[in-house]
Amino acid sequence: MAGLWAAFMDWIYAWFWRQEMELTLVGLQNAGKTTLVNAMSRGQFSEDMIPTVGFNMRKVTRGGVVMKLWDLGGQARFRSLWPRYCRGVDAIVFVCDAADRAKLAAARVELHDLLGRPALAGIPVLVLGNKNDLAGALDVDQLIDQLELRTIVDREICCYAISAKTHANLEITLQWLTQHAGKGGSRGSASTLPAAAASGSAAAHHAALDAALPSPP
Amino acid sequence: MIFIRCDGCVQSLAKKDEDMAEGSMFYHLDKTTVLQEARIFNVSPIRARDCRLVLTKIAYLTYQSETFGTKEATECFFSVTKLFQSQDAALRQMVYLIIKEFSQVAEDVIMATSSVTKDITANSDLIYRANAIRALVKITDPSILQGNERLMKQALVDKNYAVVKAALVSCIHLFASAKDMVKRWASEIQAALSKPGIASYHALGLMYLIRQNDKMAIIKMATAASRVVFRNPHTYIVLIRTTCRIMDDETPDQRSLMPLLQNFLKHKDYIVVFEAARAITGLRNVTAEELRYATHALVTMLSNHRPTLVFAAIRLLNRIAHLHRSLVVQFTPELEARINDPNRNIATFAITTVLKTGNEASVDTLMKQIASFMGDISDEFKVVIIDAIRSLCLKFPAKQSMMLNFLANVLRDEGGYEYKRATIEAIFDIFYSVPSSRETALSHLCEFIEDCEFTRLAVRVLYLLGTEGPKCATPSKYIRYIYNRLILENAPVRSAAVTALGRFAADVAELRPRIRILLERCLDDNDDEVRDRATLSLRLLDIAAAADGEAASAAASLLLNENTYVWPVLEAQLYTHLQDAGTAAVPFSDAHVPRLTKTEQHDHAMHARAQREGRLALSPTAHKFDAHGRPSPSDHRTAVGGTGGLHDYQQELSLVPALAPLGKILHSSAPAALTESETEYVVHCVKHVMPAHVVFQYTCRNTLNDSVLMNVSVQMRMQLLNDMELEAEADPGAVAALAGFAPAFVVPIPQLRYDTPETMWVVYHRPNHCVPLASFQCALHFHVYDVDPNEDLDAQLADAAEETGDRGYEDEYELEGLEIVLADFMVPDGRVMGTAPSFEAAWHAAAAEDARETYNLTAVATCASAVKSIVPMLGLAPVQGSDVVAAGKNTHTLLLAGRFVDGTPCLAQVRMVSEEGAGVTIQVMAKSPNPTVALRVVNAIQ
Repeated sequence: MAGLWAAFMDWIYAWFWRQEMELTLVGLQNAGKTTLVNAMSRGQFSEDMIPTVGFNMRKVTRGGVVMKLWDLGGQARFRSLWPRYCRGVDAIVFVCDAADRAKLAAARVELHDLLGRPALAGIPVLVLGNKNDLAGALDVDQLIDQLELRTIVDREICCYAISAKTHANLEITLQWLTQHAGKGGSRGSASTLPAAAASGSAAAHHAALDAALPSPP
Repeated sequence: MIFIRCDGCVQSLAKKDEDMAEGSMFYHLDKTTVLQEARIFNVSPIRARDCRLVLTKIAYLTYQSETFGTKEATECFFSVTKLFQSQDAALRQMVYLIIKEFSQVAEDVIMATSSVTKDITANSDLIYRANAIRALVKITDPSILQGNERLMKQALVDKNYAVVKAALVSCIHLFASAKDMVKRWASEIQAALSKPGIASYHALGLMYLIRQNDKMAIIKMATAASRVVFRNPHTYIVLIRTTCRIMDDETPDQRSLMPLLQNFLKHKDYIVVFEAARAITGLRNVTAEELRYATHALVTMLSNHRPTLVFAAIRLLNRIAHLHRSLVVQFTPELEARINDPNRNIATFAITTVLKTGNEASVDTLMKQIASFMGDISDEFKVVIIDAIRSLCLKFPAKQSMMLNFLANVLRDEGGYEYKRATIEAIFDIFYSVPSSRETALSHLCEFIEDCEFTRLAVRVLYLLGTEGPKCATPSKYIRYIYNRLILENAPVRSAAVTALGRFAADVAELRPRIRILLERCLDDNDDEVRDRATLSLRLLDIAAAADGEAASAAASLLLNENTYVWPVLEAQLYTHLQDAGTAAVPFSDAHVPRLTKTEQHDHAMHARAQREGRLALSPTAHKFDAHGRPSPSDHRTAVGGTGGLHDYQQELSLVPALAPLGKILHSSAPAALTESETEYVVHCVKHVMPAHVVFQYTCRNTLNDSVLMNVSVQMRMQLLNDMELEAEADPGAVAALAGFAPAFVVPIPQLRYDTPETMWVVYHRPNHCVPLASFQCALHFHVYDVDPNEDLDAQLADAAEETGDRGYEDEYELEGLEIVLADFMVPDGRVMGTAPSFEAAWHAAAAEDARETYNLTAVATCASAVKSIVPMLGLAPVQGSDVVAAGKNTHTLLLAGRFVDGTPCLAQVRMVSEEGAGVTIQVMAKSPNPTVALRVVNAIQ
C-alpha cells in the first residue's frame, strides 16, 4: 500500500516538477553516439549500426527529467551543421572513440572549433571517451591531455570514460546530465559556474569516476 | 507607359484578393510575417496545432508561386526539422510537405535523411509513412539511398496501398539518377501491377521506363499486361500509349499488336475506348481497315450526355474524315444531328466534318447553317470552319460562287488577324485553283482592302492584284482600288501599291501613259521606299519603251518579277562567297543559283502547307524524345529524308562542287537506314539516278561523344544482278555498257563530330543509259580520334595533328547491304494516263504490245500483303484506289502507272489470286512505248 502511495506521489511530483532538457550529441563518425543513445533509452547494444545521415531525435525520461536528445551525424559533411542544433540546448555532449588514437587529433580540432562559436558560449560540455572496454583505450587523464580540455575555461566542462557496450559509467553520465536540466535559461551566466562542481561530484564517486577537471587557477 | 503599368498592378492585386477571399486565414499573407511566425518551431514544448497552421501558411505561399531565397529556406528548413520531436501525425505530414517544397531551394536538406528513414521503417500503420517516402527521394542522393535499398524494396510490396503508391512514384523520380538501382527492383514493381487503384498505373509507367530502350521487352510487357484486368482505367491508358509507341515505327502490315489495341475499343470505360481510338488515329500511315472499328466506337460516343466526351469524339472523327473520308460518310446523319448542338464547339466540328464528307447537293443547306452560327463562335473555331470551306471549294469547284460570297461576307465582319488571314488565304487558293472564279475573287479582295486594318494582309492582296490583275478582262477597274491605297494608307501599303501599279504599266500597254502620271505623283511621297519604287518603275518603263530587244525585255521581266531565286541556295552561296578569301575580289555571280517561276513557287507553298496539315499533332507520340532529350531516331529519320522533294536533293547536290556538273536528278529513292537506330554510327542512304551516273548520298551521324571521325567514306563491293539475256535482247551494247558501271569518285566527310549529321557521296558511272541492277556490301571507313567530350574539341584535334595522328587509328564499321532495283529507275506518276477517263481506257489506247509474266508468291498469304510487297518492287504508282483490297476477297487486280527515268510512260496491271496455303499467284502485264521497259517491269518481281 505504502509502495503504491509512494508511486502515486512520484507521479504527482513528476507532474508538477517534471523538467525537460535538450541535449545535443556530437562527435566524429563511428564514435558511438547513436549506440550511446540506444543504451541510455533502451539499454540495448548492437554491433551492427548504419551511419547516421543527418540526425536522429530521441526522448529519454530519467528520474522526472525528459531529455530530448539530438543525435547528430559525425561525417565531415554534417559537422558544419552541428552548431544549428547546439544553439540553446542545456548541454552539449561530445563523444569520442577513446580506442581510436589516430582520430583524436581531428576530434580535438572539431571540438575546439565548435566551442569557439560565439552563439554557443557558456553552454556546459560533457566530453565522453567511449569504448573504454576495448584494450588500448585512453583513460580519462590521457583524454583530457589529448583533447586539451584544460584550455577551455569559459564554461563548465567535464570528462568521463564510458562504455556504451558494458554500460560502464553510464549511470553517472546520466546523473551529470539530469543535474543540468533546466539550466538552459541561466546559460548566459554559465561561465560563472565553477567547474569545481563537477570536480566535487567526481570526488564523491571516485571509484566510478576516473577523473574530472581541476578548477581553473 | 506608367499608366499602363499601374493599371496592370491594380488588376493583378484585385485578382490576388479574389483568390484569397476563399479563406480568410490566408488573406493578405506575407512571406516575412510567416517566416517570423516560423520561430514557433523552436519553442519547447512543441505546440503542434500552432506549428501546423504556420506550416500550412508556408505551403500556401509556395503554392501561390511565392519564392524563398536560399538563406530563408535553409533557416526555415532547419527549424522545421526541430519538429521531428513531436509525434503528432498531422503535424508530421505537414512537415514532410514543407521538406519536399524546400528540398530544391534550401541547402543541406540531406540532414533530415536519418529521421525520414526512421519514419519509413516504423513498423506500424503510421499515416505519414507514404509522405516520408516521397520526401526521402527528394532530399537524398543515390549514393546514400543505396544503403537504404532494402527500405524502398519493402515499401514497394508494403501492405499499405498508399505506401506502395508513394514508393512507385518515388522510383519514377529516382529513375533519372539511379537507373541501375531501380532496375534491381523490377520484380517488386511487377508485383505492384496487381494492386488496386492508381498504383497499377504508376507501376506500368515505371515498367515501361525501365524497358524503354528494348523494344522486344516492351512488346512482351504489353502483351502480358493486356491479359491482366486492371481496376483503374488510367492503367489501360498507359498501356495503350505504350503499345502505340511501339507501333509508331512499324508499317501497317507489321503491326502485330494491332488486335490488342482494337480490343480496347470494346472496353466498358469510355476513357479507355477514346484513348484507343485516338491512338489508332494517330498511327503513322493508318489504313482504313484499321480505323473502321475506331470510327464505330467514336460514333457511339456521340450520343453520350457528357459534352466533353462528345467534343473529343467529334474532333477525332473530323480527323478521320480527313484521313479516310469514306469511313465517316455513312455516319453523316449522326453528325448532322450534332450541328444544332447547344455547345458551339461541338457544332463547329460537326459541321466541318460533314463538310468534309458531304456531297455536292448538301453543300447549300450546310452553308446556310454555318452562316447562322458564325457569330456565336470564337475566332479559333472560325478559322477551322474557313479551312473546311476552303477544302470543300477545291473539291467542288462548281460551288465556288456561293463559297466566295460567303467568304466575302466573312471579310466584312469584325475579326482578328488570324481569322482574316485564313479567309484571304482561302480566297487566294480558290483563285489559283478555280480559274472561273478569278474575277469575282479579285473584286472581293479589292473591296476588302478598301477597309483593311491589317497592313500585312493589304500588302499581300496588293501583290496578288499586281500579278494577276493585268491578266483579267478589264484591268483598268483595279487601278482605282490601288490608287486609293496610295492616298489613304501607310508607307508599306503605299510601296506595295506602287509596285502593283508598275506591273500594270508593264503588262497593259493602253494603261501605261495614265499609270505613268500616277507614278510621277508618287515621286513626291514623304516615304523613301515609296519614292524609290516609283523611280525604279518609271525608269524601267522608260527603258522598256525606248530600247528594243534585250534591254527592253530585261526591264519588263524585272518589272513583272516572274522569277525568284531559291532563297536558301542563294544564301548558302553568298555565304561561301564571303567566306572564301580568294573570291572576294571577284563579283558574285548568280549563274548557279536555281530560279523558280511563280507557278513553281505557288506549288511549293501549297505542298508545304499540305505537309504541315498532314502532320497535325494528334498522336501522343508526335513529339517523342529519347532519354537524352534528343528527338527520337524515328523523328530523326524524317528530319533527314522526310523533306523528300526532288528539289531539296538537287539543291544539296548543287552545293557540292564535284557533283554540280553531273546534271539533273532523274529520280531519287526514299532514304534507307543502313544501321539500327541505336548504334554508334547512324547511316542513311539515298540513291539518285542521274543522266550518266548513279549517286549514293550517305547521311552519317556519330552518336559517340568521345570520338571524332576523320576522312569518312563508304566502301562498296558490288555484284551485278542483271539478267544478261534480257539486256542483250534489249540493246546489243547493253552488256558492254553494264561493264562500265563502276565507281567514279567519292566525296568523303572530312570530319564527323558528335551528333552533327554530315553527308558523303559515292558516284558510279552509268554509261549509255544502262539500267544496272546490283547489290552492294557496304562498310564505313574512317580514322578515329578519341577525344575528351569535356574539353575543347578544336584544341584537342590541333594537338593530335601535331603529334601526327598519334592517338588516331583506322577503323571500319560494317553497314547493312544496299540494292539498286528497278524501282530506282521508275517514277510513280498517275498522270501518264493523260486524258483517258479510266485505266482500262488508257490501257486499250496504248498501242504497244504488252509483256506478261506469271509468278507464284509463296511467302505471302493474302492479296493485300501481295499488293504491299509488289508496289515497292515495281516503283509505279497505284491508281484508281486499286492498292486497297476489299476484306475477304481472294482475287484482285492492281493497276499501276508511272514513267521510266527517261520519261517513257509505262502502265502495268497485276492480277492476283490467293489460295489457302498456296500463297498468291500473280500475273504481271506491262505496256510501254519502249518494249524493253515493259519487259523490265514484268521481270522485276523477286
